[in-house]
Amino acid sequence: MVETTTETTEAETPGQLASAASSDVIILLNHVNKWFGEFHVLRDINLSITQGERIVVCGPSGSGKSTLIRCINRLEEHQEGDIIVDGLTLGSDLKNLDQIRSEVGMVFQSFNLFPHLTVLENLTLAPIWVRKIPKSEANEAAMAYLERVKIPEQADKYPGQLSGGQQQRVAIARSLCMNPKIMLFDEPTSALDPEMIKEVLEVMVELASTGMTMIVVTHEMGFAKTVADRVIFMDFGEIIEMNEPHQFFNNPQSDRTKLFLSQILHN
Amino acid sequence: MADVVLAEGYRPPPTVQGTWFAWLRDNLFSTWINTLLTFGALYIVYFAVSGVWAWGITNAVWEAENRRVCFDILAERAQEQGVDELTGACWAGVISWFDSFIVGRYPRGEMWRINLGGLLLVVWMVPIWLPGVRDKIYVGFSTVFLYPFLGFYLFAGGEKGLFLQVMMSLAIVVLIGNTLNGYHGVRTGRSLPAVVIAGLGMKASSDKKQRNTLLAIFAAAFALAFWAQMDWALVSVEWNLWGGLFLTLVISGIGIAFALPGGIVLAMGRRSQLPVIRILCTGFIEVFRSVPLITILFMATTMFPLFLPEGFTLNKLVQVIVAVCLFNACYMAEVVRAGLQAIPRGQYEAAMAMGLGYWKMMGLIIMPQALKFMIPNIVGNFIGLLKDTTLVSIIGLFDILNMLKAVSQDVPWRGLHKEPLVVGAALFFIICFAMSKYSRHLEETLGGGTQR
Ligand SMILES: Nc1ncnc2c1ncn2[C@@H]1O[C@H](COP(=O)(O)OP(=O)(O)OP(=O)(O)O)[C@@H](O)[C@H]1O
Ligand SMILES: [Mg+2]
Repeated sequence: MVETTTETTEAETPGQLASAASSDVIILLNHVNKWFGEFHVLRDINLSITQGERIVVCGPSGSGKSTLIRCINRLEEHQEGDIIVDGLTLGSDLKNLDQIRSEVGMVFQSFNLFPHLTVLENLTLAPIWVRKIPKSEANEAAMAYLERVKIPEQADKYPGQLSGGQQQRVAIARSLCMNPKIMLFDEPTSALDPEMIKEVLEVMVELASTGMTMIVVTHEMGFAKTVADRVIFMDFGEIIEMNEPHQFFNNPQSDRTKLFLSQILHN
Repeated sequence: MADVVLAEGYRPPPTVQGTWFAWLRDNLFSTWINTLLTFGALYIVYFAVSGVWAWGITNAVWEAENRRVCFDILAERAQEQGVDELTGACWAGVISWFDSFIVGRYPRGEMWRINLGGLLLVVWMVPIWLPGVRDKIYVGFSTVFLYPFLGFYLFAGGEKGLFLQVMMSLAIVVLIGNTLNGYHGVRTGRSLPAVVIAGLGMKASSDKKQRNTLLAIFAAAFALAFWAQMDWALVSVEWNLWGGLFLTLVISGIGIAFALPGGIVLAMGRRSQLPVIRILCTGFIEVFRSVPLITILFMATTMFPLFLPEGFTLNKLVQVIVAVCLFNACYMAEVVRAGLQAIPRGQYEAAMAMGLGYWKMMGLIIMPQALKFMIPNIVGNFIGLLKDTTLVSIIGLFDILNMLKAVSQDVPWRGLHKEPLVVGAALFFIICFAMSKYSRHLEETLGGGTQR
């Protein structure tokens, strides 16, 4: 099944595969389809992302944005097509899976910090238990990342004692502690107040400047304009349009994109 | 307080100017009806307490050779006071039987072994409650996994096989290490290994060298303990002589120690992705939960032997303990499952997204949070387990309930029912009440640390 889809790909989208063949493609989605029961959430998604690229994904609610990025670290399983992350094909092979997950950081809308651990322990948990780094080294690295997200003074507090913006910055630092090659953001700012949105976006802009590969689901169009290399618009589980930001915002091709942009820019 | 600069217009919150008199007025005598209720309730309490007080304290007989003497003393007193009859407790019977309540028919000369075993258990666990002690989790683990070997030999005695000898030596070493660790923890907040390394002046050495040194010390201590325990011989005390509160605590203690880990395994099995494991665990849990404990106890003593190879007999006590463990693990599994359900999905996802495997995710992220939710239910179950253990009296073990009843069969104390049962109730109350108070305390301290 997979075999045949791959072959048809070559015929249909030569452009996609040409870039896929080049060595610095870090994420490749090839005719990916996914269903929730009867519901077709992802329809024939083709996407290749090169190392260091910053992708912003937008689209109306329920269009499958979260599902798409959650497929990349296999928090959701796709049923058809191939997903290749950093040269490893996502499949039922468990060993691959943990390796991929430790190289792909993820930041959630609701932070998902571990409430029973201090901020510092949240940051060092995975380095110690997955990467097997000695505790003292992990602590040092964690403090450096807390510095970077500008909250080193909160290290010994529990997540419940921090503001939303601080929690999200801790969550970003927690992912960075694993030295990931790719960072996925699922609406990292949509649970935050405007003041806090700014502080989180600043951290993300700074991260983008370091050359991290980032896929960001967000409706912050300002962020998309300044940071993204490409903006993807999704609707009904399909990639409707994909372009570099200037073209995307000033010269949208599809009517649905135009409608979406007019709605979101007017709010 | 003094260095807090208060902004203009700020004032401290009003303090409640409560005297006990005001409290009484507000809470007990605020209206006529309330006053009436207060007096009514006071009268009922007085009525109940004064009756029990007279029976148990004022009229009670504390010294007598037998029940007859108790009656005679009471009759004499009644005459003195010019009343027809006095009812009073005959505590003398309870006193002469008290040792039996505690240890059953265990030889009196060997009773020190039980006391020592109890004392060692307390010593073993004390560091858990002391401030500043490091690595408390290991204290808990070693209590569950090592103490039983030491306890077993103390209580049972007799021949000890090589395995038991090894485990006992290990237990002895760990007990001593544990106690020293607790001592240093309280005094300086450091762990025993840290103190040893500092004492040897090896702080600067590499991790590996430090670890090897500690291992060598441990091995030497183990060898010493092994050599010391070799000539330690205790007379064998057959299990059927075990009894009283001691037996009750042995059965429920093992049940408690097993129920939680067993319950966690069963609950995780029930939520497993693998259908075979899930169905097995669910079936097991449902079967055990749908059958009364007493039935399981009867089945255990009659049916287990059928599954065993020919010529292999299990003693009744082991059968009962196995049954109690399985039964309670199934109940605990449901408590654990409820706790797991309280953990939001985002916690699992965040853990998985980091690359933590299933076991690390459960052990480091999910269980620690879930256990906190479960403490009240867990302790509730433990209390239930302790009380249910009295059912073993029905299948003929001499647990505390049977010993309490045995008093009335004893020739000098024939017919003495009430007093032993009152004492038994008091013993259970003390243990169970302490457990539930402790669980409240645990909930508060654990809840305070994390502030969800
Ligand atoms: N576990 C699930 N089971 C069934 N349906 C699901 C599941 N998760 C998501 N869906 C459905 O799939 C669709 C896409 O969901 P997804 O979360 O990817 O949307 P989204 O684009 O991220 O939307 P939003 O902007 O609201 O976050 C939605 O219609 C949702 O109801
Ligand atoms: Mg979403």
